[in-house]
Amino acid sequence: MDLEASQISEDELDDELVGQKIGGVGITSSLYGAYKDRDPIILGAGLLTGTLFPASALGVISAKSPRTGGLTHSPFTLKAGMELKYTGFDYVVIVGKSKKPVFLWLHDGVADIQEASEFWGADVWNTTDAIRKSMGDDLIQTLVIGPAGERGSDLAQICVNYWASGDCWGFGKVFGEKNLKAVALRGMGLLEISDPEGFVDQCFEVLETIKGGAFAGKSGVEDILTAMGEKDAKEWIAPFVHRHSACYNTPYPTNTFVYLNENPKTLAEPTEQEPGFLINDVGALLTLKRAGLSAESACRVLKACAKYGIDPCAVAELSARSGQKDPDKIEQSFVDLKGTVSVPEGGKFSSWAPMQPLFADFGLSDESAYGDWWVRRQALAYLFGIHPIFANMAPELSEELMIEMFNKGTGLDLSQETLDQAIADVCL
Amino acid sequence: MVSGILVWQSIIYLIKQGIVTKPRRRIVMRIDVDALTCIGCMACEMACGYHRDDAFALLSSCIVVYRTREKKDYFGVVVKEEESLKIARPEGLEIKRIGVTEESSDSGQKKEADASAKPMLLREPCDLCSGMKYGPMCVKICPVNAISLVE
Repeated sequence: MDLEASQISEDELDDELVGQKIGGVGITSSLYGAYKDRDPIILGAGLLTGTLFPASALGVISAKSPRTGGLTHSPFTLKAGMELKYTGFDYVVIVGKSKKPVFLWLHDGVADIQEASEFWGADVWNTTDAIRKSMGDDLIQTLVIGPAGERGSDLAQICVNYWASGDCWGFGKVFGEKNLKAVALRGMGLLEISDPEGFVDQCFEVLETIKGGAFAGKSGVEDILTAMGEKDAKEWIAPFVHRHSACYNTPYPTNTFVYLNENPKTLAEPTEQEPGFLINDVGALLTLKRAGLSAESACRVLKACAKYGIDPCAVAELSARSGQKDPDKIEQSFVDLKGTVSVPEGGKFSSWAPMQPLFADFGLSDESAYGDWWVRRQALAYLFGIHPIFANMAPELSEELMIEMFNKGTGLDLSQETLDQAIADVCL
Repeated sequence: MVSGILVWQSIIYLIKQGIVTKPRRRIVMRIDVDALTCIGCMACEMACGYHRDDAFALLSSCIVVYRTREKKDYFGVVVKEEESLKIARPEGLEIKRIGVTEESSDSGQKKEADASAKPMLLREPCDLCSGMKYGPMCVKICPVNAISLVE
């Protein structure tokens, strides 16, 4: 999609490319190389995204990070990764800068560039509301920026619908520089696979195995924090927890919804239109907690970040450094918030997925092995389209299994050597 | 009264003699959803779509996670059955008879159907995955056992 020329062209996905690069970040990286001189931002789905394979929820955004200057990758989950797959486009290369604000509308095999001047200046929540209303479909998934991205902040984040995403690379700024307010996704497509019966049989078998896994009986960000050693996390946030929910086909509900303006125990549909917030960023919540914020204040900061379209991890880190604990003052600082924030060491993948095993030990003897393990585990998740946090809690999703699923799904023949090469290529 | 007793005695006699068989209770199986246990992952929806289309797709599923109130985190599951829409809400089960227009109890006005319900009415009703070796696929795929097959 050439925003400068307002032109769209389509290419068939080549089996040979899939055979070598697998999918997801393997192919977005390859496409990045092909369009590098036009400063592309690339959306992609993993090979298994949107199937019945457990945790096949992942979509990937690849671009040059305003924070590091190098090619990096961000995950997007909820239902947006799956929805991208069913739009009919596995990969979307966006180049150039539009003359005026636009959003991309991908649906049912059709790609449109649409005027977005009326949304420019709006926050993330109002933009998603406006796009859904204008299309008459509340199930549209959006990758969307707020004022932070429009103003060119290096801390700007591409959000998913109303919520944070795994974008810790400043990709919100890249959208803003292209005058791209959002990408709207909705698909009613059909995904055919090579050996459907064998594939589905295997999916059921895997699910049965992992249902009894180490994470059984756990849910939400608070149990993840507990697994990371934050023993009082559950008590801390419990007074606000409404429900837990999962990203597409993900057996563990990684998202915790808190009610801030309603009784969290309310079961019926609340009258309040915006009663709370969906917490899906473990790292940001942990940093705010450790900085001494109350659970309510931390949730209010995260909500403000999502509306403004700013990376909550960066905000949490900079606030902790300044000692600020007042959520209103933290929000007021967004406009000209600057500063160096930490990025994952040695990887191109987002630290949105905690850099350690969760619930299960993966046979790792000590913490010194976590770094290399995490990079390889994330590479695997980003290639195949597996939820990157779930990948850290389910050792049952092994590389051998992924190869088997690849072969059943595509009818091609993936070897361990090719997988090793694909992982090495995306980690370079 | 007397003739009624005689009729029943005659039937019991015929059953004992094996001349007629005992009338059997008709067992109806259906899908039951615990909306509070549901985590809204949509695996059931995709599994149902697979049963309908022999490929992965959502358009034909007769079980759907309704998720249009995203900012309120209000979600549940709708199942289209032969004669009704079963809506498993967090606060309880609601069954809407297809083709019956309801009136709002407080205003007397006709209830406007949720936009997301309209496509459901055009879909095939649940057949408990007839012909599939797995049984009802939504039951099998649910990672938190929120869906069950009940009598």
